[in-house]
Amino acid sequence: MILLRGVSKTFEGKRKVTALDGIDLSIGKGEMASLVGPSGSGKSTMLNLIGGLDRPTQGEVELDGQPLSKLSDDELTRVRRDKIGFIFQFFNLLPTLSCLENVSLPLHLRGWPRKKVEERARELLDMVKLGARVEHLPDELSGGERQRVAIARALSVYPPILLADEPTGNLDTHTGAEILKLMHDLHDRLGATVLVVTHDKTVAESCPRTIQLRDGRVFADTRREEVRR
Amino acid sequence: MILLRLISWPYARKHVLRCLLTTAGIVLGVGVFVGMRTANKSVLAAFNQTIDRIAGAAQLQITAGDAGFDEDVLDKIRELPEVRAAAPVIEATVGTGQNNLLILGVDMLGDRSIRNYDLEGTDEAGIGIDDPLVFLAQPDSLMVTKKFADERGLAVNSKLPMRTMQGDQVFTVRGIMKPGGLASAFGGDLAIMDIYAAQKMFGRGRKFDRIDIALEEGTPLENATAKLQALLGSGFQVEPPSSRGQQFESTSRMYALASNITSVFALFIGMFIIYNTFAIAVTERRAEIGILRALGATRGQIRTLFLAESAIAGLAGTCVGVLFGIAMARAMSGYIGGMLTEIYGVAQSPGDLTLDPWLIGTAVAMGLVTSLVAAVIPARSASRVDPVKALQKGGFQSLSEGENRARRRWAIVFGTASVAAFAFNRLWIMTYVGYVLAILAAVLLSPALSFWLSRALRPLLAGLRPVEGALAADSLIQAPRRTSGTIAALMLSLALVISLGGLARSSYDSLAEWMRIALNPDFFVTTAETLSSRSFVFPASLGDGLRAIDGVAEVQPVRSVRVMVKNAPIMVIAIDVSKVAKRVHLPPVEGDSDAMYRLAAEEKGVVVSANFARLHDAHMGEVLEIPAPDGILRLPIVGVVDDFSDQQGTLLINRGLFIRYWHDDSVNVFRIYIAPGADAAQVRQRILQAFGGQQRLFVLTNREVRDFITRLTDQWFGLTNVQTAVAVLVAILGIVNALTVSITDRRRELGVLQAVGGLRNQIRHTIWMEAIAIGIIGVTLGLALGAVQLFYSIEIARRDLVGISIGYAYPFQTALILIPVILGSALLAALGPAESAVRGSLIEALEYE
Repeated sequence: MILLRGVSKTFEGKRKVTALDGIDLSIGKGEMASLVGPSGSGKSTMLNLIGGLDRPTQGEVELDGQPLSKLSDDELTRVRRDKIGFIFQFFNLLPTLSCLENVSLPLHLRGWPRKKVEERARELLDMVKLGARVEHLPDELSGGERQRVAIARALSVYPPILLADEPTGNLDTHTGAEILKLMHDLHDRLGATVLVVTHDKTVAESCPRTIQLRDGRVFADTRREEVRR
Repeated sequence: MILLRLISWPYARKHVLRCLLTTAGIVLGVGVFVGMRTANKSVLAAFNQTIDRIAGAAQLQITAGDAGFDEDVLDKIRELPEVRAAAPVIEATVGTGQNNLLILGVDMLGDRSIRNYDLEGTDEAGIGIDDPLVFLAQPDSLMVTKKFADERGLAVNSKLPMRTMQGDQVFTVRGIMKPGGLASAFGGDLAIMDIYAAQKMFGRGRKFDRIDIALEEGTPLENATAKLQALLGSGFQVEPPSSRGQQFESTSRMYALASNITSVFALFIGMFIIYNTFAIAVTERRAEIGILRALGATRGQIRTLFLAESAIAGLAGTCVGVLFGIAMARAMSGYIGGMLTEIYGVAQSPGDLTLDPWLIGTAVAMGLVTSLVAAVIPARSASRVDPVKALQKGGFQSLSEGENRARRRWAIVFGTASVAAFAFNRLWIMTYVGYVLAILAAVLLSPALSFWLSRALRPLLAGLRPVEGALAADSLIQAPRRTSGTIAALMLSLALVISLGGLARSSYDSLAEWMRIALNPDFFVTTAETLSSRSFVFPASLGDGLRAIDGVAEVQPVRSVRVMVKNAPIMVIAIDVSKVAKRVHLPPVEGDSDAMYRLAAEEKGVVVSANFARLHDAHMGEVLEIPAPDGILRLPIVGVVDDFSDQQGTLLINRGLFIRYWHDDSVNVFRIYIAPGADAAQVRQRILQAFGGQQRLFVLTNREVRDFITRLTDQWFGLTNVQTAVAVLVAILGIVNALTVSITDRRRELGVLQAVGGLRNQIRHTIWMEAIAIGIIGVTLGLALGAVQLFYSIEIARRDLVGISIGYAYPFQTALILIPVILGSALLAALGPAESAVRGSLIEALEYE
């Protein structure tokens, strides 16, 4: 499903920084993996490359056998639109749009009919237990609720891949646990491939697989048979 | 100073484009101000320079309006012991294909005591031009300037054909004047001929236009003036040459006023662009301000920091604006000069630009003050930033409700006061007070109106494009501070365009009606291609010749001269009132229609134009004193009519009266009515065949005359085009400014949009729709304020500018043109920002704080 072959990423500036250095990695369809490592180890960079938000300096990223390097910006956007759902640490909801509108956003961008968009958005908000707050603006929600809206938005097209960057990083422990449970539930129900970047040991250990990065390389790749949530 | 270096300079370097846009607001304002004023001043200075150079050593000039006077006046003047030299002059301009040529007819025997003719040696042919008798003996002699000669490839003895009142004549160049002094008058397009030859050429009979006088040494000017005035009577003007410049200034006062309003408005609009940028800067830099405050910066230091930034931006903008203005003046002075020549019939030739240090100083001061005033409110807001709140996210995005409420309350107070001032406008100042209050009310209300309109637009935009439309409208709703200045500037600018356009439309309507009634002859026989040129005149006898032409039913001679009445140069039009009244019946504004024409025909009164009555506070029954060479003509006003012949106003008197008082039966224009059934083209041809070869004569059709007047009016309202250009520039500048900030503010939002699948075109559409929404709001408010402003403009025009009643006519056509122009400009303005929005790094955008 997700394949990285010899992927490197360097940032040119006053000082050349190598964020990823020859990564080879494969994440199977329906797998749920966590990506951990100290700050600056390249976790977010790897997530961005997998999500098509950025391009590697070397190597190839393939999603469902489709190499991303040859794609134009708009083709890459279409891949994101059809295959990937993003969950960000700071939610990245649009402050001027209601919950319903935020969740509808990717569907509208795909050109879905209004009625279908609204049905799907309401269904997703129900799924994340925010069915009663569809017209609320993000500012009127708690941190956990905002992240649930962000998850609903990420799932709006039922993408085969869900990428989460520190999804609980901006939440208290209790809310973080709720969000984690929700992600696991959704993974079980929808069967998407999930990759979670996290600093949180609990989050990392809740995933059947943990990939550990250090200095831009895969330092360890651990699989667990059964994980307690 | 240290804060400027540490805080402001890095910010400016980071936001180069925005700094340039801020400065552009002042560049535009100062540029238009300097440009229009310099162009006007240059035209005026060129006129004054010509007067000064032509005057030579003359200390006084004798005139009787521009009608001229009999030759025997010269003998009387020469008898006065105070007069050292008295030189008669005929001064007229002729078109030469390229430029106008100013011809001075002088008496070469006596003129050298007044003017210095510095000639290029004696000519090779041996004809001594230094001997005036040679010049006199040959009436075809002409002296031209070196510049004119070089441009036309003329040398001594070259021939120069010209069309005179006695048909085409060939003149011989007998001398070439060296550059400088007299030869540089009228931009160097000057020719000298013998005065008696000039009388014939221009059809002046035995008359002079004026007499230039040099006084005996030690004679006080006032004494000599008083003595000459006593000798000649009050029908003559005895004045120093410089007073002619004042007359021209007075004549073109209206144009100067109109252009001043435009230029000051441009600066006012520039102020809003600066205000907008600084208001945005405060919002954006609130975290930075919070840190500074937390580190111990006082409120005063923060305020000073922003004011200093504004002063620097203002100074930079002013310097560039002055240069831009000079370039603009260079481009405009020719146009303005040509227009004033055609409208006022006062020919002049704009030479070099006149840079007035006082004007430049004023512009610099205005640029700086405007910039500082614009920054006062943002600087105050910056100084009041709460360091704790400032370091939190999203605190100061919009105006507080309290601030909005206060603005709305003041707007209502000003709006009500404006209506009251307009209702009780007997005192002239009240109209202006009402006007200013209406504008202030609109400016104060514009943020609230923008907000409401943005909300009203949201469903519409979201209906068009669910995501892009909603985001575009939300951007405006959430951050009114980002766009309120731009929208206010756009509103003011468009309102001015609408009010000027409305004035134009109303004027055209009134003018068309006047032309329909007053200009109904089939032909106008004139001495020039234009009606405003009065250099040449016909002899009265031509009237008999015209009457004898087969197919001509009636001939009405018209003589028009400008004379000083109520201290202003007023046009006196002499006609056979009884004849004209049978064909033309202008509806009276005051008085009885039949009685006024009857009394005027009986030479018992004068009919005045409504603009004369209003501008010079004249009323029915008032006895006017009209100076004429034969003494003061005292006539009561027997009627007031709307007449558009002259902007200063017109006095209609009977021709017989004019002939008696001015000793002048010459004619400027013959109004010709053809007999029923006669073929117009054939009659015209007959007139040209009979007289065209003998003298300078043009037969203009009714349509040609109307087109000429309409063209003059078009030129006059050409000022509207400058204002429209300013409006478009304001739209582009303001919208680019607002969008640049909007994109910076919303980088993360746009990044998210792309991250969740927004294509680049969809991002572009969001920015475009935001720009168009700003355009729609600006246009809506501008067109609405324009409707109000038009009321005031018409009242001001009626009362203080043209004095003519013009009806209220909203310029729907202008409005319909403005809508696509401004929306198109808005879209154009959005192209750059939209591209920058889609080109940036997605990762950086998502991490942007």
